[in-house]
Amino acid sequence: MSIKDSSFVRDRIVSGISSTRQSLIDWKSWDRATVARAVGIIIVTAVAVGLRVWELNQLGYNTDEAVYAGQAAAIAKDPTLKEIFPIFRAHPLLFQFVLALVFSFGVNDLAGRFAAVAIGLGTVYMTYRVGKLLYGEKAGLLAGLFIALMPYHVVVSRQVLLDGPLVFCTTLTLFFLARYAMAQRPAWIYLTGVGMGLTFLAKETGIIMLGAVYAFLALSREIPVRIKHLTVSTVLMALMIAPFPISLLLAGGTRSGKNYLVWQLFRRPNHPWDFYPTTVPESIGFLVILVALLGLWFLRSEKSWRERLLLCWIIVPTAFFQLWPTKGFQYLLPIVPSIAVLAGRAIGRWWPEDIFLLNKRIRRSWIKTSTVGLIAFSLLIPSVQIIRPATSGTFIAGTGGVPGGREAGEWVLKNIPVGATFMTIGPSMANIIQFYGHQKAYGMSVSPNPLRRNPSYPPILNPDLQIRDGDIQYLVWDSYSAERSSFFAEDILRFAKRYHGRAIHTESVTVSLPDGTTVVKPVIVIYEVRP
Amino acid sequence: MNHLRKFSYILGMLIVAFLFPSTSAQAGVLNQTLKPNTPIQHFIVLMQENHTFDNYFGTYPGADGIPSGVCMSVDPADTTKKDCVEPYHIGDRPIDDLDHSLGTFNLQYNDGKMDGFVYALNQRNQNGALTMGYYDGSDLPYYWNLADEYVLFDRFFSSDHGGSFANHLFWATAQSGGNRASAEGYSDLMTIFDRLEERGISWKFYVQNYDPQITYRTMSQYSGNRGSQIIWVPLLNIDRFLDDPKLASHIVDLNEYYVDLEKGTLPAVAYIAPSGASEHPPGSLRSGQKFVKGLIQALMRSDSWKSSAFLLTYDDWGGWYDHVVPPQVDENGYGMRVPAILISAYAKRGYIDNTVLDFTSIPKFIEENWDLKPIATRDAKANSFVTAFDFSQSPREPFFIPFERVVKEQRVEPRRVVIYAAYGGAVALAILMFIWTAIGSDLRKQSVAYFNRLTQPREPLP
Repeated sequence: MSIKDSSFVRDRIVSGISSTRQSLIDWKSWDRATVARAVGIIIVTAVAVGLRVWELNQLGYNTDEAVYAGQAAAIAKDPTLKEIFPIFRAHPLLFQFVLALVFSFGVNDLAGRFAAVAIGLGTVYMTYRVGKLLYGEKAGLLAGLFIALMPYHVVVSRQVLLDGPLVFCTTLTLFFLARYAMAQRPAWIYLTGVGMGLTFLAKETGIIMLGAVYAFLALSREIPVRIKHLTVSTVLMALMIAPFPISLLLAGGTRSGKNYLVWQLFRRPNHPWDFYPTTVPESIGFLVILVALLGLWFLRSEKSWRERLLLCWIIVPTAFFQLWPTKGFQYLLPIVPSIAVLAGRAIGRWWPEDIFLLNKRIRRSWIKTSTVGLIAFSLLIPSVQIIRPATSGTFIAGTGGVPGGREAGEWVLKNIPVGATFMTIGPSMANIIQFYGHQKAYGMSVSPNPLRRNPSYPPILNPDLQIRDGDIQYLVWDSYSAERSSFFAEDILRFAKRYHGRAIHTESVTVSLPDGTTVVKPVIVIYEVRP
Repeated sequence: MNHLRKFSYILGMLIVAFLFPSTSAQAGVLNQTLKPNTPIQHFIVLMQENHTFDNYFGTYPGADGIPSGVCMSVDPADTTKKDCVEPYHIGDRPIDDLDHSLGTFNLQYNDGKMDGFVYALNQRNQNGALTMGYYDGSDLPYYWNLADEYVLFDRFFSSDHGGSFANHLFWATAQSGGNRASAEGYSDLMTIFDRLEERGISWKFYVQNYDPQITYRTMSQYSGNRGSQIIWVPLLNIDRFLDDPKLASHIVDLNEYYVDLEKGTLPAVAYIAPSGASEHPPGSLRSGQKFVKGLIQALMRSDSWKSSAFLLTYDDWGGWYDHVVPPQVDENGYGMRVPAILISAYAKRGYIDNTVLDFTSIPKFIEENWDLKPIATRDAKANSFVTAFDFSQSPREPFFIPFERVVKEQRVEPRRVVIYAAYGGAVALAILMFIWTAIGSDLRKQSVAYFNRLTQPREPLP
């Protein structure tokens, strides 16, 4: 028996391919629904790709991107960067491992960003699949459209961050769990374990989604789970997670892993309690959230385990990160596919009738199309704005690249002798200088107290002495770090003055003032100092 | 009227050009002679203090260092040589300013037998065993790293048997003037700076913490380290460099070295004299290395790097042991070997140069590079260290030499194969599981059927 004779291949793959081929050839005979579906897929794909690759590399890496790309370059044995970036820092290395495969052909920031975009497109696809699985084709396409346009996902999936792969893996896990809930075939709960393992490998904070899985299964009596199947699933998850401790143990990174854990457990809050409420809803889109909530309310009559699953996927990480002292703009990204699916469901299934306004009948389809158009427009505008370079001279970590950072680093690479050491205001600019400039850089704001600093960053114990000894030869002032820590910004300028500082390079950006005028503002200044 | 003025002016210019045809030609010749014969347009030399080659580089791999089995007799007259001192690593042990007078040299040198190092110091009521101490890469990480990257000379001798003053005089004048500063000065000595001045070639003598008031005329008022400026800057013993404002303006504080590098006004020849960080025992080696590092880093980050050479050397042996018998070219020298390193964009990489050199090789190189006449017999006969350069290579990019000694073999590289295997395995497992779940049941059935067929009994052969 050849593989073609297999019932699965014969019935699903071969027939699928041939029917697709046939239907493509006979496109003139498509019915309205097929045309709408084809148009929908084209629009979602075009929007998702367009917003993610448009001017993708106009700004260089930000600090986190520089770190992950630096780790990947170190794994790929880049001769210079492997001396600067340690392989083992805080997180597991799944994405860095993928990037290392890309970087084995040469370290290139655009290639890294393309890898991130590919994973982001994978998330859009998986969101579509989840929506389609739970609520049908239309809801799936709308969910795909919303996440394709959503500024929150657009901005993160354009960057070399771990949160892009994390949300892809959580959405994959969500899909597997939904398949299990529908079919109750043990293989899907096994795959849920595999998906959870991958989620952890993408970023260790993904393990909290285990709480979402538990909450969903615990609250859904109609979905029986056998202990035996859960055990196998857990074993598979453990197997998937195993590369993290194994590589730490066998490849020599145990110490950095332990130090990071201690620091994470005892570190101070880095943002106020209202950080998420004030930053995230706007990035997800107020209308998307509103429509998702309205859908939950008005469609409550058809409530099922489906909404419960999606809500668990939203509430558990939101509650956890709200309580956890460490906050990051991109941490809540795993909730957005579920929100997009709920919004897609609301529009796809709600509003059953036409309405009459001033004796004029407005068709239900027009109402839906207009709503979708309005939401899409409300997402598109901020997404386009966020792609453009920041002109205020300030930024939040994770929201995009740093204007002038790459250019400053590349200037360093071309003009500063190899082996030089830089002191920056904080570790953020230090990472960028290290990645693009291939020189050692240390942040002055890194605390000498091990409990008060990220163990990945060595502190400068005595900047005065190190400049006097010629161990630090260059200082970097940047407006982004200065905005956040004025004390150290003033300090670095004081050192520049004290040690014959000479500004040898300045990066500037054009800034729009409230009155509409534009001025050129220096954002990064490199000083040469000497004893 | 205007036309008449213009005509008169042009006529005047023509007459001048006719009467003095050689002026412009002479200027052209002068410009040509100002151009160096090598790509080295700036030569900088720093003279530190009081160490021998074996004391600093005696265990440096590949160099002519301390021979194995050496044990320095406590008494050279004792033929049994039972009581002797072996070379030892000084490390953090306290050291002393070992006597390095002419008399001590003669006892240590002992007519070329080189066996009186311990004895001579014992005679001076010092701990003679100290002379056999040496430093290594852990104490001199910066210098050893420099040697790895540039040129280390292992046949560089001090010019005079004596101490600092005599050798500093050789450095600037290629002549012997005496072993200590004199109240009469040394105004009759010709210097390399006179030669440079004659040809209009720029030069400066940079002095750390320079005080123009301290000269041979005022030396009785300054004792200790302050007075050392007269020893380390031979020009302060010569009247014309004190009285002629133009010449005196070439002797400047070391701060100007950094300013000149920043402004691109580094002279063709620069001599540097240290102050506190000279490494003169018992001074800190670490401070000395940091001082030198600052000078070299400043040069490396300037535009002058690609046309410069920096020579680091030491003025005398300081009483320390060295095993190489110094050749005797006249009644004054050579003295013991001293450390010397050449740093330049054209220096050979990690090269140990065996050319016999001394402090007069420095004026020799300057004379050869800028077509100057020798000052004295010594420099005329001396070897130049031009062999340390490779001018066929494109100038080497500047490189801030690290201050820590990193032995490459000791570095443990993370096992990347583990990362690739572990994470690659996880991804492969996930893909396999997905295939198994999504389309695998059918394949599983096929596999079982295939296995069953394989294990079925075959039909008997006909």
